Amino acid sequence: MGRWQEIEHTADLALHLWANDLPDLFATAARGMFTFIAADDGAAPTRAIPVTLEALDVETLLIDWLNELLYWTEIEGLIFTAFEFERLTPTHLTATAYGKPITEYGKYVKAATFHDLAVRATPEGYETEIVFDT
Amino acid sequence: MVTKNDFEQINEYVWELPQAFDGRMRVPARIYGNEDVFDMAFRDQSVEQLMNVAMLPGIVKYAMAMPDMHQGYGFPIGGVAAFRYDEGIISPGGVGYDINCGVRMLASQIDYEDAVPYLKDLTATIFRNCPSGVGGKGAVQLSNKDLDDVLEQGADWAVAQGYGTRDDIQRTESYGRIAGASASTVDARAKERGRPQMGSLGAGNHFLEIDVVDEIYDADVADVFGLTRNRIVVQIHCGSRGLGHEVCGQYIRVLQDAPKRYGIEIPDRELVAAPVDSREGRDYLAAMAASANYAFANRQILAHFVRRSFEQVLAGKVRDWNLHQVYDVTHNIAKIEEHQVGKQRMKLVVHRKGATRAFAPNHPDLPKVYRETGQPVLVPGSMGTASYVLVGTESAMEDTFGSTCHGAGRMMSRNAALKQMRGEQVRAELNQQGIVVRTDSVKGLAEEAPYAYKDVSIVVDSVVGAGIARQVARVRPLAVIKG
Repeated sequence: MGRWQEIEHTADLALHLWANDLPDLFATAARGMFTFIAADDGAAPTRAIPVTLEALDVETLLIDWLNELLYWTEIEGLIFTAFEFERLTPTHLTATAYGKPITEYGKYVKAATFHDLAVRATPEGYETEIVFDT
Repeated sequence: MVTKNDFEQINEYVWELPQAFDGRMRVPARIYGNEDVFDMAFRDQSVEQLMNVAMLPGIVKYAMAMPDMHQGYGFPIGGVAAFRYDEGIISPGGVGYDINCGVRMLASQIDYEDAVPYLKDLTATIFRNCPSGVGGKGAVQLSNKDLDDVLEQGADWAVAQGYGTRDDIQRTESYGRIAGASASTVDARAKERGRPQMGSLGAGNHFLEIDVVDEIYDADVADVFGLTRNRIVVQIHCGSRGLGHEVCGQYIRVLQDAPKRYGIEIPDRELVAAPVDSREGRDYLAAMAASANYAFANRQILAHFVRRSFEQVLAGKVRDWNLHQVYDVTHNIAKIEEHQVGKQRMKLVVHRKGATRAFAPNHPDLPKVYRETGQPVLVPGSMGTASYVLVGTESAMEDTFGSTCHGAGRMMSRNAALKQMRGEQVRAELNQQGIVVRTDSVKGLAEEAPYAYKDVSIVVDSVVGAGIARQVARVRPLAVIKG
């Protein structure tokens, strides 16, 4: 199971992520991001949003994925807490994100950025840092 | 790693990293600020980010950072860079996600003493009339057709609907409407995010503030700007909301393979760029202009609801409750402008990311009313501290493509700020200073607390010392609505 740690950033928010495999990386990045955005009230998800994305590399796919979730957060006021990846390669994603209405908002995240972004393969799996514009 | 010793001091307020420092830099990098400001630049990644900007193709003169600089993503905040229109680039990361984030100032004829009894009521009424915070809907609901008109007409659309006057348009940068905007370059998702949010402040560092003019530095210019000591003014700080964020994100994604396609080397993926005169470059410029127009309309509508709030609370209680617009500036934008570069007059794309245009007297882009004074520059301080009204100078035209600072500039992360004090304590301190505070996010108060920012007066002293703006007036806050 992946983990994350917040990195100090003067103006924005940033996460250092570690994960065992690609689905773990994508799920961990989303979970980490949503800890900024809203408190999880522990209720079961009530919405299932299908997501299909194509991108030219894994970094772009990861940022697309997070910004896709942010889009649903803004349009429907959802927090996502569970993820199922039907297909995930470095350039393709078919997944379902399970969400529920936000009951307590935290910070407003404008976007996940490409700043200094590189997904690195490690003996344990994957590692990366993501800066979020807030 | 770059250090202070790698810089040359040009004068008391300008520091230069020679181009030779890194073979990839195409121009030198310059930091504006006194020695304290210069020292602070090395506390985060902002200098490295500035060097990255200096590596982009078609950049002319210098990659510059204003004294309110701090680490961003892609460009540093406080970054100014101009690229040749004919063989340079346009970079969405050089504008940022909040396209046309900016500040509007409205001034009144109301004396401080006459306003004080009504401050709480005024603040509560504005808080009710001007939606703020995360997840809120705007004050105005738009149809699809309305939104397309907003994107192409900007503040003009809002005024045509009865939100404000033609005089407001005269006193707005680019007359509240950036040319070349095209609604068709903004995709359905961005529109979906923007449609419900028109007339809303948003969250983060956005705010609406009631201030009093407490110092006049240049009486003649202040008079033209409509600023009088001891009178009440209002500042509105916000941008293009979710629409602008989506547009920026989309074009950064679209441009991920552009560097390869056009043979542009970039040091950071957030700095993806396309030639200005390419299909992608033109599309981004049109979408960015449309987003900027959305932001101008947004501030125009918020100004209308602030005026309505003043009327609701103060009509019959003070002699004149009207608010006239001083100016509206954008501090996240790329603009096509002509500037003198050496002996040549050049058409450039000037990126200002956390920097404000500061055009000198007699510039043809200025409205008649400000032709002789130069452009008003609005520099908000951090929450609870003073803000400044400056004016553009000829030195800014010569040195910084007519640009200057945009605010205090963060120096402490949100977490570090939270560790210093809780939101309730920050509110109590502000109340003790007599400042009324309204917010949906008490925690957010601590993140935006004054100690998280540089002292705005040091930033202003630096730009004034460097000659890239002159002081006109200072205002101090009486009430803050934090988004």
